[in-house]
Amino acid sequence: MKERPPLVFIVDDDDAVRNSIRLLMKSLGHATQTLPSAKAFLTTYDPEQPGCLILDVRMPGMSGLELQQELNIRGAVIPVIFITGHGDVPMAVEAMQQGAFDFLQKPFRDQDLIERVQRALTKDQSNRAELGERAKVRERFESLTPREREVLALVTSGKANKVMAADLDVSQRTVEIHRSRVMEKMHATSLAQLVRMMLDLEESKQS
Amino acid sequence: MEDTYRPGRAFPDNALLQNAKQSPLTNINYRELQAVLDAAVDGIIIIDHRGSIRSFNRAAERLLGFTSAEAIGQNIGILMNRDDQNDHDGFLRRYQENRIPHIIGTGRDVTVRRKDGTVFPAHLSVGAIAGEEPPRFVGFIHDITDSRRMQAESHQLQDRLTYVSRLATVGEMASGIAHELNQPLAAMATYAHACDRLLGLPQPDIEEVRSALKLIADQAVRAGDIIRRMRSLARSEESARAPVSVNTLINELATLINSDAKAHGVSYRQELGTGLSDVCASGAQIQQVVVNLVRNALEAVGGSHAGRPAEVLIVTRQLLDGRVEISVRDNGPGVPQALREQIFDPFCTTKAAGTGLGLAISRSIVAAHEGTLEYEPNVPDGARFNLRLDPARMNTP
Repeated sequence: MKERPPLVFIVDDDDAVRNSIRLLMKSLGHATQTLPSAKAFLTTYDPEQPGCLILDVRMPGMSGLELQQELNIRGAVIPVIFITGHGDVPMAVEAMQQGAFDFLQKPFRDQDLIERVQRALTKDQSNRAELGERAKVRERFESLTPREREVLALVTSGKANKVMAADLDVSQRTVEIHRSRVMEKMHATSLAQLVRMMLDLEESKQS
Repeated sequence: MEDTYRPGRAFPDNALLQNAKQSPLTNINYRELQAVLDAAVDGIIIIDHRGSIRSFNRAAERLLGFTSAEAIGQNIGILMNRDDQNDHDGFLRRYQENRIPHIIGTGRDVTVRRKDGTVFPAHLSVGAIAGEEPPRFVGFIHDITDSRRMQAESHQLQDRLTYVSRLATVGEMASGIAHELNQPLAAMATYAHACDRLLGLPQPDIEEVRSALKLIADQAVRAGDIIRRMRSLARSEESARAPVSVNTLINELATLINSDAKAHGVSYRQELGTGLSDVCASGAQIQQVVVNLVRNALEAVGGSHAGRPAEVLIVTRQLLDGRVEISVRDNGPGVPQALREQIFDPFCTTKAAGTGLGLAISRSIVAAHEGTLEYEPNVPDGARFNLRLDPARMNTP
């Protein structure tokens, strides 16, 4: 799969603010997409598109915070940089609690926005890489047979082959074969790596 | 019938007074009548058909500074300024020729001159004495200095109240205004930074930079407009009436209303009728009423919208009877039936932090413009307030 170039999304109902940020991003060589409302963003949003979102807090219709909630519900990972005309502390707190990447007050110094956009894009990239890695691990895990999963669970809980053989009522040799199949299928080079993979998978299931 | 005093008449017949002097039987009546005249708070003066003073009561002496002896025989003109003197001679002549009364039976406000030349406002009512030929007249002079002053004070008070309430509204709207000003400022700053960076590129696109510079200038003008509008809303001296277009008034408010609506997460629309008559009004005061109504609407819809987009709408139109209507509508919960009678009463409020004065002040402002401010349920839902004003007279330029 070819990597798509990241896109800086700019959602603000004010034409001038939106256009000026677009021009600033363009001067830095970022590709942009500007949208006048939260609704317009949602209808065109493709979760596979890497990038970041510069989002005005207060807009008529769906507000920036409401859009953020909607994105959270959809499980979107795109980092959101809020911009606001108000020094509205409770609103900033709420946005950050909901996982906003950062919060900037208008008018802002270009350096502040540029820096945050840069960091947000990096974060998005690592988010997506992590997600991709996790998806692969899940895929591999799902390719295991029921018996192999049982062996995996016992291996990662630290049981010795002999104990496992007794627990599963099979020969030690059979356990060894299952175990090496598991390591191979999971692309694990060590027991430690296998444990880390399983913890990560467990964690992502819970959140 | 002239030889008895009939109670209930506002003043005694002159003939009665004359008879009273001559008749020993009615001697008491004469003294009673004199007592009535002297006890009266109003100045009471009787004149003949040439305007010559024939009777002058004690209140008249006190009000006007002339003694009865000085006044009797003089022309009533000594109590008037020159223009009124000429007019008065004309009224007397005309009444004598064709009995057309000028103020008899109705009364009017006049300026009265004292012996020392000072003047005061008075209400003058005049009656012709029945059965006299040539006619005689009796005039009642009621000093209205105090009520005039009270009226002026109450006007002044109303103006100040409006001003204070407008300032309070401007204060409440300050955060909306700050937001509104921040937009062009943010755009200007960002455009400028972008220009700087575009010029730093190896092959700068000069046209792009130039068009961005133009956009910066546009935003500066926009910021200036916002400040100008805010100041026009905060001006104090605007109780003067002039023919104005309600659509112009609404358009001047649009930016402020928009920013306030945005702060409440509400969308704002206006549907302005075409070809509307001007109204004769203080623009700032009518704007104040509209802002009050809009703020109420924003608070009403902002708090409660069950899934549907909260909206405030202003509609202007001309009614069939010629009046011009500004209606402020929302799709909030509306005003409960039980409160509809009271919402215009002072201190009636449904808001936790409300003073309950907004609608009361609004209605008094509209009443001072001879207009009406009414509530009706909006269709299909929500509240609707109708502000109706008479059209300005057609001959105004």
